[in-house]
Amino acid sequence: MNKRLLAALGTVILGAAVIAGIGTYVASAKNDSRVLVATPAGTMDTPQGNLPHYTLEMSSYPDSMAGSHGTNGGPHPDWVTYGPVTNFQVPAHSVITVTIKQYDGGERITNDFFATVHGTMDGTATVNGAQVKKVDAETVGHTFTLHGLSDAKSQLFVNIPLPAVPDSEVPDSGYTKTPVTVTFSFITGDAGNYVWNCEFPCGDGTTARFGGAMSTQGYMSGNFTVVNA
Amino acid sequence: MSDLETQKRPSMFERKDVKQTVFLWVVLTAIIGYVAATVQVHAMGAAASETMSTTIHMIRVFTWVAAPVAGLVAAMAATTLLAKIHFGDTPPEEADHQIRNSPRASSTWIVVSAVLCLFAVVWGMVVLQRDNAAILDPKAMNVNVTGQQWVWNFDYVDNGTVRSADLYLPVNKPVVFHVTSKDVIHSFWIVQMGIKIDANPGYVTETSVTPDKIGIYDIRCAELCGLYHAFMQTKVHVVSQADYDAWIKSQGGQA
Repeated sequence: MNKRLLAALGTVILGAAVIAGIGTYVASAKNDSRVLVATPAGTMDTPQGNLPHYTLEMSSYPDSMAGSHGTNGGPHPDWVTYGPVTNFQVPAHSVITVTIKQYDGGERITNDFFATVHGTMDGTATVNGAQVKKVDAETVGHTFTLHGLSDAKSQLFVNIPLPAVPDSEVPDSGYTKTPVTVTFSFITGDAGNYVWNCEFPCGDGTTARFGGAMSTQGYMSGNFTVVNA
Repeated sequence: MSDLETQKRPSMFERKDVKQTVFLWVVLTAIIGYVAATVQVHAMGAAASETMSTTIHMIRVFTWVAAPVAGLVAAMAATTLLAKIHFGDTPPEEADHQIRNSPRASSTWIVVSAVLCLFAVVWGMVVLQRDNAAILDPKAMNVNVTGQQWVWNFDYVDNGTVRSADLYLPVNKPVVFHVTSKDVIHSFWIVQMGIKIDANPGYVTETSVTPDKIGIYDIRCAELCGLYHAFMQTKVHVVSQADYDAWIKSQGGQA
């Protein structure tokens, strides 16, 4: 083959390989590589039949002194964060019951669509033991909002608003002794990669408070992987 | 008088490299036109609105119109890459630079390019104007679309307080989307219906479409908007009017 043609092809292939390599590296980069795997909890009767049941437990904190960033808070100790990790793994076609302890205060949510429960088994969640379909949009702390790609796989959209801890119960230092406990259950579909994030703008002042912790992996967002059991 | 000056030069189209370029031009134009039009249209999926059908037809035509230009560039590149290397400080004897100063070649190139661009602009504007006609249709339904990192939500303002994360639409009914954002700039794109418009914080933009096929289609964000931009996707369910009314009632709205 002509040497110049070979050199031209080689240049194109090398360029494509470099771009693909950078893309692969960026796609696989995670601030927090740890994954919390759901705990088996027997089975549960559902409208879709008797399904395997699993549980997950997590918390939302007003800073990063707890959770996944260590006792010194990591690089941004004042950023709000979920914990103990922000990446989760659950089985496909199962009931997942999630319990979240919410330690942070809050205020009015900018989009009250996210003050309503979506995507759970019966359209409800329990807040400190009381069953609710929505919470007061004026006092939302954070949300746990799970979503995925619009592909051939099962759609999964779950939104849970987490009510704020009342201002009177937020201590000057440390965490409240009476966090808001929110529990909800949903049914997973096919295996696939999903993500979750908070829809309450609790980041820094950039981009309408959607910057900082809201736009950095390992704080108010993470991966949610559904695997075949 | 030198031998070179007395020798009669062959006309441009008798030259071997020009013949080769013309041959490659014809072949590559056919290949580029067919592959580009077929692959693009296949990747766009089945059309779910007249807007998308028109867009697909327009892309096919534009691709075939552009194919000779791409084919000529590729043919000249291939001829150059495959040509014999000439070493030395002066051009080879057979080199002919007449085309460099040819007013005929320059004017032909400029006129053809201008006509092609004008053709694309006029056709595109006509299609764009026709696609937005439903915005003025008083019978069109209205849906408020809100983008927020990294989820869409929809308010069916003609049906009470119904809201959803998936979009539901009745078939063959014009719909006007009033689009905004709560944070950064997003872009509301219904892939198989051929509509796309920016969602800007603090502003409402409008676009419209009439879905003409029952089915489930894709909604994506088409503006890089942060960490999980790639996951800012959801579905649009196009259903019969009866099924739409039933769904609205199931959500607590008024059909």
